[in-house]
Amino acid sequence: MISVTPTALADSPNKIDLSNLSPEQIALNINNLNLYYGEKQALQNISMAIPKGQVTAFIGPSGCGKSTLLRCINRMNDLVDICRISGEINLHGENIYGKHVDVAELRRKVGMVFQRPNPFPKSIYENVVYGLRIKGENNRRVLDEAVETALKSAALWNEVKDRLHDSALGLSGGQQQRLVIARAIAIQPEVLLLDEPTSALDPISTLTIEELINDLKEQFTVVIVTHNMQQAARVSDQTAFMYMGDLIEYSDTNTLFTTPTKKKTEDYITGRYG
Amino acid sequence: MDSLNISRHISGQFNEDLERIINLVMQMGGLVEKQLNEALLSVSQADEELAKKVLSNDYQVNNLEVVIDDECTRVIAKRQPAAGDLRLVMAIIKTIADLERIGDEATKIAKVTLESLTSQHKELLLNLDNLGRRVLECLQLTLDAFTRMDVDAAIKIHQTDEKIDREYEALMRQLMTYMMEDPRSIPQVMSVIWSARALERIGDRCQNVCEYIIYFVKGKVVRHTTNEEIKKL
Repeated sequence: MISVTPTALADSPNKIDLSNLSPEQIALNINNLNLYYGEKQALQNISMAIPKGQVTAFIGPSGCGKSTLLRCINRMNDLVDICRISGEINLHGENIYGKHVDVAELRRKVGMVFQRPNPFPKSIYENVVYGLRIKGENNRRVLDEAVETALKSAALWNEVKDRLHDSALGLSGGQQQRLVIARAIAIQPEVLLLDEPTSALDPISTLTIEELINDLKEQFTVVIVTHNMQQAARVSDQTAFMYMGDLIEYSDTNTLFTTPTKKKTEDYITGRYG
Repeated sequence: MDSLNISRHISGQFNEDLERIINLVMQMGGLVEKQLNEALLSVSQADEELAKKVLSNDYQVNNLEVVIDDECTRVIAKRQPAAGDLRLVMAIIKTIADLERIGDEATKIAKVTLESLTSQHKELLLNLDNLGRRVLECLQLTLDAFTRMDVDAAIKIHQTDEKIDREYEALMRQLMTYMMEDPRSIPQVMSVIWSARALERIGDRCQNVCEYIIYFVKGKVVRHTTNEEIKKL
């Protein structure tokens, strides 16, 4: 007779102990991060470790700071004049807010995909190789190979392989979003940030992207912000619940959605008045 | 009911769905309690009419199980309950399965009344009385704890099942003595044994419901654990 302990059944194969991560397991380490937009504090003392090769979701009501936190990870907030940041985010033990960090190089390591698909008004092929061309890569064979690999990873290859030189704007919304993901992963980032990647898509395209996220985590660390709680429950290994700039609860997704420890988390995920 | 916080959902329809399901479970619990009470009365008073009534009413318990199951499936499909709501729906689905089985056990007990027992063997049935009263009380306390989702009461009731088991074992020994003394009595004694067994099983099912209450409130699975571990909660 095979004996299976209840805990063995309850744990997903990817489950790791968030409170006890070894340095090799950590992709990003956020320490005492505070962020102000002018006088208003949007993030309050956030500390968390985001594990490597897993999907981490940020959930919370509008204005809770989840997108702001995501944007900190590749310094998108630098573009906001009134934004001030204290604390640190370590990528491989190096603070990305350090003095000598090359932001363009950081964004090559930390790719980002937004809510609305934003392909360039160029061909599908040129969209994917855009990052590589900027890096100075012009070898046709290298580029061809990169396009095929990236489009295959983004589960788009079969749909576009015969029309790589058509305009990317002719693709459907779901295809455009997968193209944008292909563009982000063509330059082999280490971390992929997804800011509500499916909120403008239909349910079937959404499921395709979710399936894709599951495949991508084998190569990249994925951090996703989503308004859709069921989506966070479906795709992520860890979930962080944020509320009014605070990180309220951060634990493995199975636990957070069945037995959250904080009342605010429970109220939010069960759709109750706060 | 306030401890469930059901009425605080932003979706009023979700509130209504959950309230309706809980009311149905209460109704089912009340019905099962009535069935057991009447089954035991039919035995102690040798009231065949009452026993027949218990048998014919069992379909109501079964119907309620199907209806509640259906409602729970719909809530899962439409609302995707999470956290406490999810644990509540899971606890209800499991509880009604146990309530339905308690209903079946009640009919087994009522059937004994319909068997033609000699007056001497009717005395045997008196032995069931004590065990029956204890089990009925256990069921009432369990349903009460479920209504209030009272985890302390659930833990307490969970511990009392041992007493029911001990009383059942004592009764078994007594009944076995009868059979050894007079092998001709075996068929009659057997039917008493089946009822005693049914009562003991009801005690176990009450224990299950208490485990679901603990699961809902604490989020901890206490099935297949020891009493000591449950006490630690």
